[in-house]
This record gives sequence, structure tokens and C-alpha cells, in this order.
Amino acid sequence: MIKLKGITKTYYRGKVETPVLLGIDLHVREGEFLAIMGPSGSGKSTLLHILGLLDRPTGGSYRLDGIEVSSLSDDELARLRNDKLGFVFQAFHLLPKSTALDNVLLPFTYAGHFPEDANARARRALGRVGLEHRLHHRPGEMSGGECQRVAIARALVNDPEVIFADEPTGNLDQRSSLEIISILQGLHAEGRTIVLVTHDTAVGCMCRRLLRVVYGKVVSDEPVAEPTVALQQLQTLKEAAK
Amino acid sequence: MSLAWRLLKTAVISLWAFRSYAALMMIGLIIGIASLTVIHQIGQGAQQVVSSRMASMGFGADAFYISSGGGRLGVRRGMKRAITLTPQDAASISQVDGVAHVVPHKNVARTQVTAGGNNTNTRVRGATPGWAAARNWPLLQGRFVSLTDIRQSARVAVLGTTVVRELFGDVDPVGRRLRIGRTPFIVVGVLKSKGSSGWRDRDDIILVPLSTATKRLSRDDKLSGMRVTMTDASRVEEVKTEVTNVLRENHSLLPGVPDDFLIITPDELMKLITRQSRSLVAMLTFVSAVSLFVSGVVIMNIMLVAVSERAYEIGVRRAVGARRRDILYQILMESLIVAAAGGVCGLLVGLLLSYLATWLLAIPTAFSPTGFLWALGFSAGVGLLFGVAPAKKAAGLHPVEALR
Ligand SMILES: Nc1ncnc2c1ncn2[C@@H]1O[C@H](COP(=O)(O)OP(=O)(O)O)[C@@H](O)[C@H]1O
Ligand SMILES: [Mg+2]
Repeated sequence: MIKLKGITKTYYRGKVETPVLLGIDLHVREGEFLAIMGPSGSGKSTLLHILGLLDRPTGGSYRLDGIEVSSLSDDELARLRNDKLGFVFQAFHLLPKSTALDNVLLPFTYAGHFPEDANARARRALGRVGLEHRLHHRPGEMSGGECQRVAIARALVNDPEVIFADEPTGNLDQRSSLEIISILQGLHAEGRTIVLVTHDTAVGCMCRRLLRVVYGKVVSDEPVAEPTVALQQLQTLKEAAK
Repeated sequence: MSLAWRLLKTAVISLWAFRSYAALMMIGLIIGIASLTVIHQIGQGAQQVVSSRMASMGFGADAFYISSGGGRLGVRRGMKRAITLTPQDAASISQVDGVAHVVPHKNVARTQVTAGGNNTNTRVRGATPGWAAARNWPLLQGRFVSLTDIRQSARVAVLGTTVVRELFGDVDPVGRRLRIGRTPFIVVGVLKSKGSSGWRDRDDIILVPLSTATKRLSRDDKLSGMRVTMTDASRVEEVKTEVTNVLRENHSLLPGVPDDFLIITPDELMKLITRQSRSLVAMLTFVSAVSLFVSGVVIMNIMLVAVSERAYEIGVRRAVGARRRDILYQILMESLIVAAAGGVCGLLVGLLLSYLATWLLAIPTAFSPTGFLWALGFSAGVGLLFGVAPAKKAAGLHPVEALR
């Protein structure tokens, strides 16, 4: 589904060149749950932005569903983002003035045509992340964990092929983090493809495959032997709190 | 439908979030559009006054007026004029194809008029039976000059209300005697009051039969002017040309010699009157154009600031699939809505101001729906034009940079 070959990215600021990705090869198959780990500044976000068609690589080849992405126009990339990809960011990136429901409806606004059942689908997505009781709350009226669940619902609503998450638990406490990961694990169990960036080893161990990136290079790529089940951790945490 | 609705809702929500900016953007437009509206309303009011006055002077769209003496409309007033038109001219003109009626009249020099012990100085005019009807000037009592009066050069007089007040006070004047100069007359009717037309009291007049005026009150049978009615309003220009030829021939004017008469069409009179207010309106229009331009620049700059403050929101939209042009349209839509809202507010303020102008300063104003459309169109145009730069800036943002 995703095939990267020798992907490089260099930032140019004036005459200063910052090489960030130094040739990444990666193959992600349908239904995988991949974690990209690495120290801060190693280029994880840059890689995820390229994977998510938010940015273009400086060199190399990226095939998404067999299509060479570099041959596509900006508009076509936008259409693909809308159609096939979902995003979850560390800072949630919700529209602060819009309700949870309106935030989740946002992708439909740019879907070319607004589906008849948009509202029902948005409610279903919010139900999927356990927020059916927060439809008309604005981000300011919700906790960080709830905001991130709205963001997941937004990523989910268009039924994407891949969900990308950049440090989705980075701004959350342990319990909210576990809730988020358990939702992602549930989505994976349903057969969705998920690519997640984290620098938290505990989170990395909850995925199925672990890719380590250091200074723009892949240093290891192996399956996770026994992924931790977030739901169990959550239960343990709740019991400990009692 | 649902999508358009959502886009509109999006724009309104964003604008509401940035309402203090939106208010700032609208102020300039409100001032500009309000002043444009006032100008327009005053212009409309003046036109209405002009056309109602012209109607009362007997100027319909299907008539024109021929005045003795040459010169140009608008610069003749107060000039001593040669009296050049003759009854023969009136007869020739009534033969011209397309002419329905010719209503001539003759002004006699201002004359001393006496009745009982009272006297006054007033305009005396010789007229034909068609005169009052041509000017929509109804009688208050008695009757107007009749054909029999004309035939007999009867010494009968129809008075304006000012003359009645001066000579008879509250007494019913019909049937009473008066003297115009030395000639005795009998009052047969009184004209309804027309009020003053700005520079003269139109009720300060005495009408006598045209033949009486030429034979008994003056030494010649020349005419001061005549009103010509067309069978068809669309033929005014054509008839005017033909009448000019007829009159030049009657007066034996060689080519190159200027006309010794003046034909005044309603069109020309309207133009003359609007020309007088044109420089004022032009100045006000310039002022409001400048204020509209300034408000456009203000809109542009505030939108530019707002766009950089909203980079994050734009990044979010791009991330979920908005194309550059979706962002472009969104920002344009917002500036359009702000501008149109400013235009509507300006229009309301302008309507209020012109109402106040009428109420407090007695300046005539009139509402016109085309003015309403103009105001909306103008402000929407300003919004679109000056929204382009901010919209392009917003659309040009890189999604990742915007989200940072
Ligand atoms: N727009 C940019 N211009 C210049 N350097 C950048 C830009 N974006 C990121 N970088 C640099 O690229 C490197 C990798 O950034 P990033 O991908 O965000 O790392 P990570 O997500 O792994 O912490 C960092 O050193 C960062 O400073
Ligand atoms: Mg990062």
C-alpha cells in the first residue's frame, strides 16, 4: 500500500541546508499497525508529513496504492488526503470555535460533495470514540483526552485507508494516553492501517511493528513480539486507583 | 445546497470569531456607502422636485415650449429679450406633422391693477382656453377664458390667489370689476393656488384673453411664447427640428444667423437643473470614492493580519483535504460577506441620514431601489477586490508551516 524508496528531505533556509531525511526505504502493507520511534529531531514528523501527503520529499520515490505521488498536483494530493488519509496530531488541531460535531464534519466540507448521511456518519464516528455525549461541546469545554478522541473521530469519519498519528499521546496524561491507544488498537483490530509516531517506548510496544529512525535513517525495523494491550493496562490503572 | 450552506456557516462562524476585526473593516465601508446613499437620495429627491415642477409648468414628456428671443437655455434669465413670435408662427406650427396643440400666450409688462380702493402691481398674461389645462392648473372658482372671450376680445380676467388677496381680501371677487392700467375688466374666475416656485410667486398673475392682451393692453400682436404638444412623445426631437425650420423660414433667417427663438424640451430643462447640482454631487462622489478605497485598503490589511493569526486554522483545513482554492474562496467569501454587511449597514445609516436631512433641513430626498442595488454591488465589489490579496496569502500557506 505504501512504498518508500530512498526518500530524502532537505530544508533550505536561505543558503543553509538542513538535511533531515537521508534516504528512507519503507513498505507498509494494508492492516499494519506501525510505530515510528526515534529521538527528538530525528525527522519522524517530517517523515509522517511526507507519508501523509502534507509535504513533498526532496528526492526518492513514494508510491501510494501504486500511484507515484510526486507526479500528482497539489489539488490531487488534497483530494487524496481527504479521501484516503486521516490525521491525528499531538496538539489535536481542532477548530476551537466549532463544536465536536462540526469538527468531525469538516472533512466532508472538502469532499467535493456533501454526503446526505454526513451527520449520521459524524455521530457514528464520535460514538466510536465514546463521545456521543459531547456532540455540541467546543474544544475549550473538553479535556485533552476528549479533544484527541474528537480528532480521531475526524480522522475516521471519511473511512480512510490509513490513519497517521504524530505523537497522539504527547500532550496527555497516562490514563488518557491509554484510552487513545486502546481506541487505535481497536481500529487496528477492525483491519485499519495505522502509522503512529512516538518517542515513548511504552506506546511503541503497543503497536505491531516498530521502526526506529535516528538522524534521518532507519536503524531497525522489526515486529513487536508481544504487543501490550492498552485496555488491560487501563484496567490495572483503574484498579490501582481504587 | 448543504455544502453551500456549510461554507456560508463556516464564513459566518469565522467572522463571528473575529468580530472586532470585522467591525473595524466595516466602519470605512459604512461611512462610504452612507455618504453615497445620501448623495443618491438627494439627487433622486431633486429630480422628483424637478419633474413635479415641470409637470406643473405644463411640461409633459410629450410637449415642448417655444420662447421668443434667441440665446441659450440657462444663461438667458434676466436678459432683455426680443419678442419675435407671431400668431402666424403659431398657425404654421399647428400645421406641422406630429403637432397636436399649440397654446400661445403673451406677457404684458407688469401693470398697475386697481379694484375699489386697493391696488397692486402684477404680471398680466394673455392666454387661450387651453392654457390652464396645459399647465394642469385648475380653477378655484368661476370659469377660465373662453373661445367667445377670444373672439370678442372680451375684457374679462382670471386672477391668481395673491392678486385676489391684494385687491379683494376675503370678498368673493367673481363678478367684480377691476382696472388693468386704465382698461376696466370683470373678474370671471380664480385660479387655485400653486405656491411659489422658488424665485417667484406663481399666484401673482392675472390672465386675460390672448386677443384682449394683444389688442387692448399692448401695441403689437407678437407672442411671448407657446407650448407645443405632440401627438406622440417619441416624436419630440423630430417635431422640434421641423418647427425650427418653419420658424427660421417665417422669420427669414439666413443660414448662419442664430435662431431668434428658443425651443425648450423637458429633457433639456432636466439637464439644466441637474447640471446645477452636478459639481456638488461630483465632489461628494469623489469623497465617498476615496473613503471606499481607503476602507478597501483597511479591509485588505486587517484581513492580512487575520490570515496570519488564522494560519493554524488554515493548516487544519488543508490537512483534512482543503485545496488551495477552497481556502481562497473561503477568505474571499468572508471579505465579501463583511463588505456586503458593511454596505447594508451603510445603506441603513444613509437612509437614516437622508430622512434626517429631509426632516430637519427640508432637503428633498427620495428612495430608489437602484440605489440599494448600487450600494450592495459597490461594497461587494470592494470586498472582492481587496479580499484577493489576503485570500491569496492564505491559499499560499504551506499546510505543515501553517500548523506549526
Ligand atoms: N521547516 C523547517 N525548516 C528547517 N528545518 C526544519 C524544518 N522543519 C523541521 N526542521 C528540522 O528538521 C529536523 C527534524 O524535525 P522533525 O521531523 O520535526 O523531528 P521529530 O519529529 O523527529 O522530532 C529538526 O532538526 C528540525 O529542526
Ligand atoms: Mg515531531
